[in-house]
Amino acid sequence: MPAEEKGALESSATLNDSDGAFDPIDGVVTNVETPKKPPPEPAESVRIRTLVVFSFWAVVIFLGLPIWWKTTAIYRAKLPLKDMMEWADGKACRPVFPLQISIEAPFLQELDAQHLLRTTQHALDDHNDFSAHHLRLQLSQPSQLVNATAHVEGKFAGMGVVGPLEDQEHVALLVRLLPGESGSPPSAILQSYSPTLEVFYPPNQIPSASSTSSPLASFIASKLQEIFAEEQAMIAYILSTGASSASAQTSGSSGLAGHASQNPQPAQTSARESRSSLIKALPADLQANLARRTTRSLKYSPTYHLTFSLFTPGAAPSSWDIENAIEQYLSPLLESLSPISNFTIDTQVQLYASFSPSVRGPEFDPDINAWTLPTEDLSGFINAAEWPLSPSIGGAPTVNFILYVPSADRSPLVVKENRGNSWLIPQWGGVMILNPPASDSLAAQTASHLSDEVLRPAFLTFSHQLLSLLGTPQSPPSLPLRLLTLSRVRSASLLLSASSTLGSLARLTLALPSISIPRAVAVSVDRTLSHLHDACASLREGQFQRALENARIAEAEAERGFFEKSMVGQVYFPDEHKVAVYLPLLGPVGVPLVIWAAKEIKRVWRIWNVGRAGGAGR
Amino acid sequence: MRQLVFLSGLPLLLLLIILPILPFLIHAEHTSNWAVLVSTSRFWFNYRHLANVLSLYRTVKRLGIPDSQIILMLPDDMACNPRNAFPGTVYNNADRALDLYGDNIEVDYRGYEVTVENFIRLLTDRVGDEMPRSKRLLTDDRSNILVYMTGHGGNEFLKFQDAEEISAFDLADAFEQMWEKKRYHEMFFMIDTCQANTMYSKLYSPNIIATGSSAIDQSSYSHHADNDVGVAVIDRYTYYNLDFLETHIREPGSKMTLGDLFDSYDEDKIHSTPGIRWDLFPGGEQKGRERLVMDFFGNVQNVEVGAGDEFGWNETAWREDLVRLGEMAREARGKREDGGRHTGPNSTQTARETPLRSRKRVGAVKVEAEGGWGKKIVGAWALLGCMAVWFAGSALT
Repeated sequence: MPAEEKGALESSATLNDSDGAFDPIDGVVTNVETPKKPPPEPAESVRIRTLVVFSFWAVVIFLGLPIWWKTTAIYRAKLPLKDMMEWADGKACRPVFPLQISIEAPFLQELDAQHLLRTTQHALDDHNDFSAHHLRLQLSQPSQLVNATAHVEGKFAGMGVVGPLEDQEHVALLVRLLPGESGSPPSAILQSYSPTLEVFYPPNQIPSASSTSSPLASFIASKLQEIFAEEQAMIAYILSTGASSASAQTSGSSGLAGHASQNPQPAQTSARESRSSLIKALPADLQANLARRTTRSLKYSPTYHLTFSLFTPGAAPSSWDIENAIEQYLSPLLESLSPISNFTIDTQVQLYASFSPSVRGPEFDPDINAWTLPTEDLSGFINAAEWPLSPSIGGAPTVNFILYVPSADRSPLVVKENRGNSWLIPQWGGVMILNPPASDSLAAQTASHLSDEVLRPAFLTFSHQLLSLLGTPQSPPSLPLRLLTLSRVRSASLLLSASSTLGSLARLTLALPSISIPRAVAVSVDRTLSHLHDACASLREGQFQRALENARIAEAEAERGFFEKSMVGQVYFPDEHKVAVYLPLLGPVGVPLVIWAAKEIKRVWRIWNVGRAGGAGR
Repeated sequence: MRQLVFLSGLPLLLLLIILPILPFLIHAEHTSNWAVLVSTSRFWFNYRHLANVLSLYRTVKRLGIPDSQIILMLPDDMACNPRNAFPGTVYNNADRALDLYGDNIEVDYRGYEVTVENFIRLLTDRVGDEMPRSKRLLTDDRSNILVYMTGHGGNEFLKFQDAEEISAFDLADAFEQMWEKKRYHEMFFMIDTCQANTMYSKLYSPNIIATGSSAIDQSSYSHHADNDVGVAVIDRYTYYNLDFLETHIREPGSKMTLGDLFDSYDEDKIHSTPGIRWDLFPGGEQKGRERLVMDFFGNVQNVEVGAGDEFGWNETAWREDLVRLGEMAREARGKREDGGRHTGPNSTQTARETPLRSRKRVGAVKVEAEGGWGKKIVGAWALLGCMAVWFAGSALT
C-alpha cells in the first residue's frame, strides 16, 4: 500500500500540506457540497495512537496510582498491641512488694536468733492475706543472709538472692533486739528519725529450739504488721483502683464502636477478675479514707514547683524573711524527698489583696473576740480572679502555699468551726492565716517585716501540708519510714498509670483508624515496655529505688507516646467530600482517557472479530 | 493466750469485708474545674459571638474558676475594632451597664490561632514543648470541664473562622481521646449555634452532659441589637442561660442544680428548641439533673480544715523531726558523695539553683545593624551582575 508507505515516511505535517481535506477553508467548502470522508488513517499513526493511549494508561496505573496511594496513606507504625493490652490488663506484671526487714540481735546466740527469726516469719506469713505485699526477715549478719532469705523465700525460688553488699540499701526496716528487764512484757520503740525498731525483750522469752511459737515472735510480728499496715492498705487500694478503672475503661471503650449504652455496666472482663484475685478487699471506712487521701494528693511529677505567697489586705507587712525560713524549715524535708521528686521554689509578696466580691467577708464573733470565716466559705477565700497565682513557670505542676496576714482591724481571723487558721485544698496547696502576735513589741516588728521566727508556725504547717499533698502516709510515726513507703507507693501508682496509658494508646489505635502513628510513638512504646519490665523485676527483687526510677521513665515515655504531637486525629472527612475534592480534578483528565481507552478497545475488538470472521470464512 | 491478745491488736485490716470498688470511683468528687470557652467566628457583624463567650468568661470567673484554668479562644478583637463606637469595650446588652472586656482578661488563643487543629490539640493535649502551661488544658481524672462553643454552624458541623469547620465526629473523637487518657471526670458541653443539637449527637464518651440551643433545621437567633454599637450584641440561648446564672447563682455556695437551669429554658423566649443529652451520663437524666450548676461553672473544692490534726500532729515533735531529717540528709549526702553515687545530691542541687535561674530575666535580643554595609555591598554586586547579564543578552540578540 503506497499511501501508507508515504504516511510512514512523512510526518503528519506533510499530510496536512499535501491533502486539501485538512485545510479548514477547503474543508468547509467541500463539506457543504458533498460530505467527503477523511482519508483512511495510516496504520502507523493508528499504532502510534494505540501506543500513546497505552503509555498514558501505563503512567496512570504504574506511576500515578502508587504515588497517590503512597502519599494519601496514613502512616501507622506497628505497635505491640498485644503486649500493651496485657500490661493494661495487669496480666504482664503482678506487682509484688517483698520488704526486707533486717534483724540485729547482738546479744543472742546465732542459733537462737535464727530460730526466733523463723518463728516470727511464720507468724507473719500466717496473718498476711495480701500476698503482693509481704515482709521477709533476715539476720543482719551477711553470712546468714543467704540462709535466711533462702528459707523465707522458698516460694520465690530462682528469683536471685540479694547480695549482702547492695543489701543495706534495700532494707525497709531494721529491728534491733535488745535485752530488757526480765519478767516485764516485751516492748518496742520505733525511732522517729531513722527506720529502726528497737525491741526490748525479757531474756527468759527467747524461744527454745524446740518450740514452734513464742510470745516474743508473735509480738515482733504484730508490731511489724502494725507498722506496715497503712502501707499495705495503700498499695492494696492503688492496685484495686488500677484494676477497676482498667475495667471501667474497657467498658467505656466498648462503646467506641457504636454509641455508649444507656447505663454503661462494668464489663465482667477476664482482666478484671484476674486482677481482683490479688486485690485485698478493704473495709469500707478505710477505703473511703484512702479514696479521700488519693483525691487530695497530687499526681506524681518528677518536679514540683512550690510557690509561697504572702497576701495582705493592706500595705504591711511588705517583706518576709523567706529565704531563711525555707532554708530552716523546708529544705531538710525537700532534701529527704529528693530521691522521689525535685522541687523548685518561687515566692511573692502581694499587697492590697482583696477578697472576691462574691464572697461574704469574715464576721466578728464577740464570744471569742475574733473574726471568723465559715468553713463553706473557705473555698472562696482565694480570690482566683485577682490574686496572681499559678505562675506557669516551667513545665512542672505548681503547689501553692498562701500565707494571709489579716489587717489589724480584722484580726485575729480564724476558721469559725474549729478556731483553726490553716486549711488544705486538695491537689492545689495550703492556706494559712497568720494573725499578728498580740504582744506589742512583736507587733511593732511584724508591722512591716515578718521574721523567720514569726514565720515558723506557718512553715511547719506548710511542710506538713506538702507531705500530705504528696500522698505520704500518716503512719507510722517515723518520718524516714513514711518516705520509704511513699517511694514504694509511688512506684506502684506509676507502674499502673504507665500501663493504663499503654492500654489507652492501644485502644485508640484500634478505635481510630484514621489517626496516624509516627515511628516515634512506636519507639516510646518499646521503651515504656522495657522500663516497665525492669521496674516490675526490680519490685520483685525488692529494689524499690530502682523500681521507682524505671517506673518514672516508663511513665514519662508512655506519656510522650500518647501525647505525640503529630498524632492529632485527622479531621473527619466524609466520603461525599472526597468525591467533591477528586471530581473536579479527575473528571477533565479522566474522561478523555476513558473514552480513548474505550475506543481503542472497541477497535481492537472489531479487528479481532474481523480476523476471526476472515479466518472462519477461509 | 498472750499470742491471742497480741493478734487482736492487729490493725483493722484483718476484719475484711468484700466490697465492690466501683461505686467509690464513680462517686469520687472532682478537685478542679476547667472551662474551655470558644468563639469560632470573626468579623464585626459577629460581635455577638464574642460577647457570648466573654459573658460566659466573666461568669465562670465570678464563680471562682481562676484564669489559669480557663481557656478562652477569641478569633477577633471586637474591643479594638475600628467600627466599635465604644473603643476598648465589649457589651452584651444594649443598656451597656457591664463592660465585658474590663481590665483583667486573659485571652489564651486569639485571632488566627483559633483553628480546628489547635482546638483539638488543646483538648487532646497533643502540643509541643514550646506551648506554655497557660495555653494547655492540664486536666486529670478529677477535673470537671465546661466546654462552651458558639459560632455559625450547620448539620453536624461548626464553622471556624470562615475557613474550616469542625464536625461532630471530630469533636466526639477528641472527647473520646480525653476519656481514654482520663483527662476529665465529668464534662458539661454547651453549644450555641444554628442546628446546635446535631453537634453533640455523635458524642459517645461517658460522663458528658450536653446541651445545645437549637434542633436540627432550626436557627439560633440573636437576642437584641444595640443601635449605637450597630449590631446584635448577644444570642438568645446564651442570654437566657446568663440570665439564670446571674439571677439565681449569686454566690459560690449556690445549691442550684442543672435541672433548675434546664427548667428555666423557655422555647417562646429562646425561639428555638434547646436540646439536652443525658444518656452518656451515668445515672442518666435523674442523676444528671441533681448535679449542681456550680460543679461546672464554679470552682468549689472540698477544703480540708486542720488537715494536721488528724495526724495526731504536734508541732514541736514535727520540728524536731525536721531538724533531725536535715542532719541525716546532710550526712547521707556526704556519704553518698564519698561513695561516688550521684542520685540524690545532684538533684537537690538543681532544686536549689533552678529558682535563681528562673528569676533571671532573659531580655529580648536587639537586632544589631552589624555587618549591614557588607550585606548592602553584596546586594549591589548581585544587582549589577544581573544587569550585566541582561545587557549582554540583549546585545547578543
